[in-house]
Amino acid sequence: MRRRSLATLGFAAAGATALGGCGASASARGSGPVRLTLLSHYANAPLKPGLAKLIDEFNRTHRTVQVTAQGVNFDSLLETVTVRQAAGRGADIIQPYGLWAGQFAEAGVLVPAPKGIAEEIRAHYSKAAVGAATVDGTLYGYPTETQTYGLYYNKRLVPTPPSTWDELESAARKATKRDRHGNIVVQGFGVSKEQDSNVVHPFLSLLQSAGGHFLEPGGTHTAVDSAAARSVLDLECGLIRARVTDPGTDMAKAYPSGLVGMTINAGWWLGALPAMMGGSYKDVGTAPIPGPRDGARGSLAYGYFMGVNAQSRHQDAAWEFLTWLNRGKSRGARATRMGTFQYSVGTIPPRPADTDALTEGTKNANLATFAAALEYATPEPNINHGQQIKAVLQKNIEAAWTGQAAVPDALRTTAEQVDNLLAR
Amino acid sequence: MATLTTRAPDRASRRTTVGTPARRGRRQTVTAYLFLAPTLLFFAVFLVLPLLFALLLAVSKWSGFSLGQITPIGFGNFASILGRGSTFLTPILTNTLLFAFGSVVIALLASLVLANCINRLRFQGFWRTLYFLPIVTTVVAVGNIWKVLYEPTGGLVNGLLNAIGLPSVSFLTNPNTALPSIVVVQAWTAVGSAILILTAGLKAIPESYYEAAELDGAGAWTMFWTMTLPMLRPTLLFVSITQFITALQSFALIIVMTGDGGPADATNVAGFEMYQQAFKYGDWGTASAMAFVLFLVILVITLAQLWFFRRKGEETS
Repeated sequence: MRRRSLATLGFAAAGATALGGCGASASARGSGPVRLTLLSHYANAPLKPGLAKLIDEFNRTHRTVQVTAQGVNFDSLLETVTVRQAAGRGADIIQPYGLWAGQFAEAGVLVPAPKGIAEEIRAHYSKAAVGAATVDGTLYGYPTETQTYGLYYNKRLVPTPPSTWDELESAARKATKRDRHGNIVVQGFGVSKEQDSNVVHPFLSLLQSAGGHFLEPGGTHTAVDSAAARSVLDLECGLIRARVTDPGTDMAKAYPSGLVGMTINAGWWLGALPAMMGGSYKDVGTAPIPGPRDGARGSLAYGYFMGVNAQSRHQDAAWEFLTWLNRGKSRGARATRMGTFQYSVGTIPPRPADTDALTEGTKNANLATFAAALEYATPEPNINHGQQIKAVLQKNIEAAWTGQAAVPDALRTTAEQVDNLLAR
Repeated sequence: MATLTTRAPDRASRRTTVGTPARRGRRQTVTAYLFLAPTLLFFAVFLVLPLLFALLLAVSKWSGFSLGQITPIGFGNFASILGRGSTFLTPILTNTLLFAFGSVVIALLASLVLANCINRLRFQGFWRTLYFLPIVTTVVAVGNIWKVLYEPTGGLVNGLLNAIGLPSVSFLTNPNTALPSIVVVQAWTAVGSAILILTAGLKAIPESYYEAAELDGAGAWTMFWTMTLPMLRPTLLFVSITQFITALQSFALIIVMTGDGGPADATNVAGFEMYQQAFKYGDWGTASAMAFVLFLVILVITLAQLWFFRRKGEETS
């Protein structure tokens, strides 16, 4: 009762926003078609026009349901979902980053996938893709893309990819070039602090290659204060101290410019690099992320999925559209609409059958690295407070990189802070 | 009958003379409130209600998605941000104070010197406009230009360092230099408005004082120290208070220049952390608790400034 009255006060306090009504979207009244909105981070080419093409096809062939895509930049997606949801104006279909699934599930933003759809997804999608859309055993939507991490190298600077950390260090030192003032002109190995993912995802990939884990099984405590994690941070800090890398570099510009020998990044980059590099793209090579010992390898998998807003008045129509988009095939197509679209922009489709059908008869060695990583990559944990836990890890890694904290202290602090968040 | 007819108007007239001022007073009060109503409504909707809502959130847990999910938890949010292991006091609040104090001190000193120089120059309007330009430039442009200037390779500042034989400095990626580098930019952007206000203050000092002092043989430094500075004190008080409050809340420049308050929280400030907690981590309770702590910090600093200047015998007029 007390909670209810406080909620009422909250409603009064934010009356201005609540005036917007609580329906997810404006629906057609009377005999008009049901109008759905889809909010995603597909705000720029090639993703935006690619999705728009599919939606146009759906709208042409379905008179009773019409879909409108709304794209915002990834950096603004979470804020947009939050603000619109609080105002009762959330989109009918949302495409969240898997990391936010725990936060969304806790707040009841999305409805669980209907039983039949959930069974179909579990049966036909990769384990990593299903994991990104699942929280505590409940599946919240269709996985739309899965990314894994691999080692990108420039064949001009690093002719043969390393298979151990020793080889990686040696190749990095050899490829590094400095000017007469000591400034790094060519980085042998690129680490970057441009975004949280640039810091955290390569660390977690290397952690797996060293046999370590971020969380204990069950996900209630962190396992990051470990010998494996110390070895990863020692490796990265050693490269920074040896001045073969500068974390301040924007890797999205430096690598395509041929100024980086090796770096760790996700598979989606393959879709962007050809346009950025032109003829120099032939120098791009990819390989599994090596471990401390020969044969060890590691990768991180993360993904996006499309789910239906719990506030939507047209949940059945939304699932109907999602099923058409993710399960259906266009006439004469070898793979599902979503799979074909994702492959066209250089992303591995979340359905292995799509990948097999689309890569049949073709040889894309670079993409094969990331497809193969689906089998062993550790999934990014999509627990509650996932985004904040990622930020905590990022800050402590940066503290070690910059010498603000010793490696063991940085990992101990990470463990304490993450455990505090997990206990909430 | 005649008596009655004469007494009746008397009573009426007495009622009128006693009742009219009170009724008129009430009517005036009602009229005043009617005139004030739009402003009061504006303050109620945009100040009082959000303040009450923030207060409610500060003692609650809320993910920001649905108003029906606000759960009261008492002072838990305050305990978690002020407790052991929290990064809010150190480094975030410390950074906030260093950022504000550094930028205000630099801007105040620079603007004091520049305003005095401008006050003696010809074409004063031109110089004031020149120094005011950073204020009318968007913070995104300012931040990005300074980011390029600070670039370790190819940046102008490092180019100058290299030219005199010094090695490059990673201004924005070294935790020791990142915050001071941004403080300089914040001060640079704040100098323009401070100059404008200080030159107005300088103009208000009568020229005859300086002429009398000159006749008594006072030098330029003596005149500045014993006349200009004391008479500028109310203006300096205004500039320092407003700039302190602005700097304590500001984080746009930090977002542009370091993106995430890094490296390793070295440039993270309270305003930015609040934004992150609310919109990125979905922890509106913690964000609101931080807002109230920051409010207390601003209040204490402003009161301290007022006390300092009043101790010297100045009012805030």
